Amino acid sequence: MRRRTWILSALGATGALVVGWGILPPRSRLGAPETMLPTAGDVALNGWIKIAQDGSVVLAMPRSEMGQGVHTGLAMLVAEQLDAPLGLVRLEQARDDKIYGNVSMLVASLPFHPLESEGGVKPAKVRLGEWMVGKIARELGINATGGSSSLADAWDVVPVAAAAARAALLGSAAQQWQLPVAELTIQDGRVQHASGKSAHFGELVAGASHSPAKAVLKERKDWRLIGQSAPRMDVPAKVDGTARFGIDVRLPDMLFAAVRMCPMLGGTVATLDDKAALALPGVKKRVSLDAVAGSTAGFAVVAQTSWHARTAVQAVQVQWQQRKDGALDSQRIQQTLLETLKTDKGFTFYEKGDAAAAEAGAARVVEASYSAPYLAHATMEPMNCTAQFKDGKLEVWAPTQVPGFARAVAAKVAGVDVERVTLHVTYLGGGFGRRLDIDFVAQAVRVAMACDGLPVQLLWSRVEDTTHDFYRPLHVAQLRAAVDAKGQVSSLRIHSAGDAITPRWMERGLPALAGPIDTPDKTTAEGLFDLPYGFANQHMAHVATHSGVPVGFWRSVGHSHNAFFSESFVDELAFETKQDPLAFRQALLIDAPRYLAVLNLAAEKAAWGSALPAGHARGIALHESFGSIVAEVVEVSLQDGKPRVHRVVCAIDCGTVINPGLVQQQMEGAVVFGLTAALYGRIDIVDGVVQQRNFDSYPMLSLAQAPRVETWLIPSQRPPSGVGEPGVPPLAPAVANALFVLTGKRQRALPLQA
Amino acid sequence: MQLDVNGKTLEVNVEPDMPILWLLRDVLHLTGTKFGCGIAACGACTVQLDGQAIRSCVVPVSAAEGKPITTIEALAKGGVPHPLQTAWIAEQVPQCGYCQSGMLMAAAALLENNQQPSDADIGTAMTNICRCGSYQRVRAAIHRAALAMHGSAT
Repeated sequence: MRRRTWILSALGATGALVVGWGILPPRSRLGAPETMLPTAGDVALNGWIKIAQDGSVVLAMPRSEMGQGVHTGLAMLVAEQLDAPLGLVRLEQARDDKIYGNVSMLVASLPFHPLESEGGVKPAKVRLGEWMVGKIARELGINATGGSSSLADAWDVVPVAAAAARAALLGSAAQQWQLPVAELTIQDGRVQHASGKSAHFGELVAGASHSPAKAVLKERKDWRLIGQSAPRMDVPAKVDGTARFGIDVRLPDMLFAAVRMCPMLGGTVATLDDKAALALPGVKKRVSLDAVAGSTAGFAVVAQTSWHARTAVQAVQVQWQQRKDGALDSQRIQQTLLETLKTDKGFTFYEKGDAAAAEAGAARVVEASYSAPYLAHATMEPMNCTAQFKDGKLEVWAPTQVPGFARAVAAKVAGVDVERVTLHVTYLGGGFGRRLDIDFVAQAVRVAMACDGLPVQLLWSRVEDTTHDFYRPLHVAQLRAAVDAKGQVSSLRIHSAGDAITPRWMERGLPALAGPIDTPDKTTAEGLFDLPYGFANQHMAHVATHSGVPVGFWRSVGHSHNAFFSESFVDELAFETKQDPLAFRQALLIDAPRYLAVLNLAAEKAAWGSALPAGHARGIALHESFGSIVAEVVEVSLQDGKPRVHRVVCAIDCGTVINPGLVQQQMEGAVVFGLTAALYGRIDIVDGVVQQRNFDSYPMLSLAQAPRVETWLIPSQRPPSGVGEPGVPPLAPAVANALFVLTGKRQRALPLQA
Repeated sequence: MQLDVNGKTLEVNVEPDMPILWLLRDVLHLTGTKFGCGIAACGACTVQLDGQAIRSCVVPVSAAEGKPITTIEALAKGGVPHPLQTAWIAEQVPQCGYCQSGMLMAAAALLENNQQPSDADIGTAMTNICRCGSYQRVRAAIHRAALAMHGSAT
């Protein structure tokens, strides 16, 4: 495939061209004031900022708060430029408009090697690719919270919007007071002059121009908020029970629905008998659910409370039917993937030198096979959505990472124009990528259509949530390295296989743009083809498959398993060549100074090489994802024959740090998330049925097992990069590497055993 | 049936085998208490029954007759936050926040029974699942609240 074709298809949107090539320069994301929700007394200055009569600042918030702190992070960008206290910024859900599309997330889907962009000037092909995809992304305007991209994306537009508001307010004051703008300052959200004149924003906004001549961003040296650990704006409501999640929506005369889907993924209902179920107290009706937006078919029971609905849905007698194409089976899929590696060379994502020649001339070749299982997201808040269809209008309340997709699927299911759908985004009780899918929204709307104008809240049980996820795909990889006569590693070759994610997601969320054929999917190869190590010869190829298992984006996506493969194997190479794992990596990072700095910081803070209590060992791993570089050093022992992680030292370079407290929190969370997967995580599919059902069979790390996590930040002036996900990938290999030191046994499959 | 919920006596007309969780959420619309698993495995539904932490998804309403139920909505008394809530803010514990009501109610019961819990005590008592990984901050916040409520033990 030619590279130009490839760049376009990397979007997973071969059909992106159908949207056309309008002229849409980046500044147009500022938006017109009418883009914002009109509210009495407030004056919008552009598509992002409104000023309220009381002087507070209203920010249009397109991104979903799922724990990552994005509401606080984006508000900080506004407060900084306006020299307002953070508490003066209020949030309002952004409307469905292209200016709120997440451009950075799509640009990050380009499969360029990150080292190419390490220097001051990016190579022409990178600039061209980013320009093209950026243009398409602005045209598509997909509002998604994912890919650890929210701050990186907002960085190019939100500060500009706030600076424009600042200029407008200063201009208004200058005119009102007949004073030169240059003599005015803003402090604590008030415009001031040395003469003693002072006014809050609400007193100035009436005279503010909507297109100020010059919006100038504050200089870095003048920042007073960015870089500070400002407290999260959502915390007070999350400690007194008032924070409203999807499951907490309550409306007059609301009904509640419980769901049962065919336990065999992709299967259907053969026959059912609901007489006994419908005769139970509080039960209203049963609604059939077809397979929609990637879901498996089944039915819902509507009742006066969730408990009545949950009880009745289990009382329905049902015969299920296996999918037409035969039962899915994870063991068989793994066998097929291993066979595939023998016959299919896959798509080459990266090549340097001649790895095959290096192997042919090598003193010896080190080889290993790795695998990682399917995984469920297990958000604490199970899938749910509330909907009401009344008088030809549809209102939907959804904890979603993709409000535009959710609105579109709601309109499609209801058979109404999208303009008739109002979508409210609630807090998300965890996302981790699961809520980039909209199956539960489609189901809720289907049920609401049958409820005669009454609102209905559809809530999955934990079992449905675990057994009907969009799983992290199972992956296998073969890694080979050539060791020359001097004992030096001269090549690295990686060949991996597993289901593509992006094309499936496009089919579910944006079917109009799903391509006729699958194109190479960066999201499943990331973390293998983009390594920082200076092996002279490299070859990385991935075979994208389509097993039929519903697969989706799982916190850190391809990196989550690929880092386990690559960073475990790099550790193997260190031991094979009798070198210290840290020193081995350091020597390979001479041309990647930022990576080396992160690695060294983690090693130094963990006192790598110093004595440990008997029975304890350290492991280290380094990985770049979502533009950020993370190194983790773990300290592990065996307790009752099981791995026990005591301490994790993290170092991260995530560019400019907006809020160090939030970065710390995300690293702590990533460690727990990664450790849960490393020690326990596996989803097995037998005869089409997911075997793990609830937290008893799909266990989570508990507080008693949680390690002490320390986070160290690299100071940087680069633009902000990802924080929510990059802490996850290095954890599993770091633990595996420590376990090798403890046991002498190399573990090449997840979850890790003792 | 007469129940005492957050200090108020209520007459409720529900099946006695309905779990307390659904009475709170779907009948009384006290939505601070969350549903997570339905099998008492995650603790998101933790409330206090007669001062003890219970997992309300598996305890029927009939078990609450004559015993007061306290939920997150009544953890603050008379508008004054519970020291745990203050500590939770100081330590910036929540991320997504979904499990935090249950965490706080379990922690409050712990501090009722143990004024200066050790890390091990906290590990034993706090078996609530947090998918965002707030555990080390939960631990720190409980120590902070214990200190605020009872002073240093040493």
